[in-house]
Amino acid sequence: MDKIWQRNIIRAFFILLVQLVLLKRIDITFGDFNYIHFTIYPLIIVLLPYKTNKTLLVLIGFLIGLFVDLFYDSLGVHAFTTTFIAYIRVYVLNLLSPTEGYGKNSLTSYAYGIPWFLTYLSIILLMHLLVLYSIEAFSFVYLKEIILRTIFSFIASLFLLTIVQLLFNPKY
Amino acid sequence: MRNLINLILRYSALILFLLLELASFILIVNYNKSQKEIWAHSSNLLTGNIFEKVEGVQGFFDLQEVNDSLIAENGKLLETIINYRINSKNNSFQRFEEKNTVYNYNLIPARICNKTLNLRNNYLTLCKGSLDSLEVGMGVISNNGVVGIIKAVSRDFATVLMVINSESRISAKVTSKNYSGNLVWDDSDMRILSLLEVPKHAEISVGDSIGTSGYSIIFPPDIHIGRIKDYTLAGGSNNFNIKVEMEQDISTLEYVYVIKYLKSSEKDTLLQLENG
Repeated sequence: MDKIWQRNIIRAFFILLVQLVLLKRIDITFGDFNYIHFTIYPLIIVLLPYKTNKTLLVLIGFLIGLFVDLFYDSLGVHAFTTTFIAYIRVYVLNLLSPTEGYGKNSLTSYAYGIPWFLTYLSIILLMHLLVLYSIEAFSFVYLKEIILRTIFSFIASLFLLTIVQLLFNPKY
Repeated sequence: MRNLINLILRYSALILFLLLELASFILIVNYNKSQKEIWAHSSNLLTGNIFEKVEGVQGFFDLQEVNDSLIAENGKLLETIINYRINSKNNSFQRFEEKNTVYNYNLIPARICNKTLNLRNNYLTLCKGSLDSLEVGMGVISNNGVVGIIKAVSRDFATVLMVINSESRISAKVTSKNYSGNLVWDDSDMRILSLLEVPKHAEISVGDSIGTSGYSIIFPPDIHIGRIKDYTLAGGSNNFNIKVEMEQDISTLEYVYVIKYLKSSEKDTLLQLENG
């Protein structure tokens, strides 16, 4: 197993640890306003190597989602969402393809630059949150709540992820 | 087979994606209370709607059955009225209530299978026959009028000679005055019958009610047929020619009642004795 996969696995464990032990407990509420939830674990899918087999990617997405679900007591919700973003990742990447193509295997800001990385991360994160809260509400009766939750959680999570990214700036 | 495997391999990501999403969905619906409720509720809405539609179609097919049961019930009521009318003439109402044997007429409801209306001799076919104890010579009535007399009976069907048949002769009378005569059809108008043999001294007027006389064993008395439309007296004749407009519209009939006179055998024996 090459170094890029070792790094990815270690990072995945670390991110899941932070997500499930720390961020799950953070509850920002001002009266009726409880739309902020930090969700960083999609970063695992985002940072997996470019050449990852599509089928394997979907499977990894499902397993990570299922693992998160076990801690969130929402069996299936996160699994559904993570499977979804794992599947559409390749299409997002095709959309954002740099002019010289994907020369490097690791999809980091170190390799492709911060603007490209933030665009890529934002799209995946936004889709993730939208699907997640839609499935959580499970009915478009709550459309307003779904949208508010998506927007505020997106801003908060992206803020956190950008800081982490700038702080560590991983090579792989 | 090779192609199939290739196809599966090529789309393995998509297939796995769909399978896992389905699995997740099943997990969501099965293990999350609110989602489960919403899912159950909306699926109920859907299936409920479908069931309602199916029920509607089913109801349409049941209409025949419903009609049959209603007509049977109707027949029972009409039977009661006919028998009550006969008995109340002779006896008191209490007597009728007390005794069961007082039933002289039974009504057998029947559906019309076929009918002809535009011929000179019109017949209709009932969907009941000797199996339902229909016999030749029984009278047939509808809710508001006389329809005809059974001419032939097979196992499952019966042919009725209708009042709008040139051979039909029915004993009728002007209800209020008791002048009786024979009711015939002179094949001009489907709704007009002629009452013959009412003497010219009879005091009748347009609008008088015409009913069955009850002299024959075919029809019970006072079955309403129609009203006098107008009457003429041919020169040199002793009898009126009364035009009677039937209350019912025979062309729209769907159900009729066959009248079974319970004492017909008794009357028959008497007639036979008379004949020798």
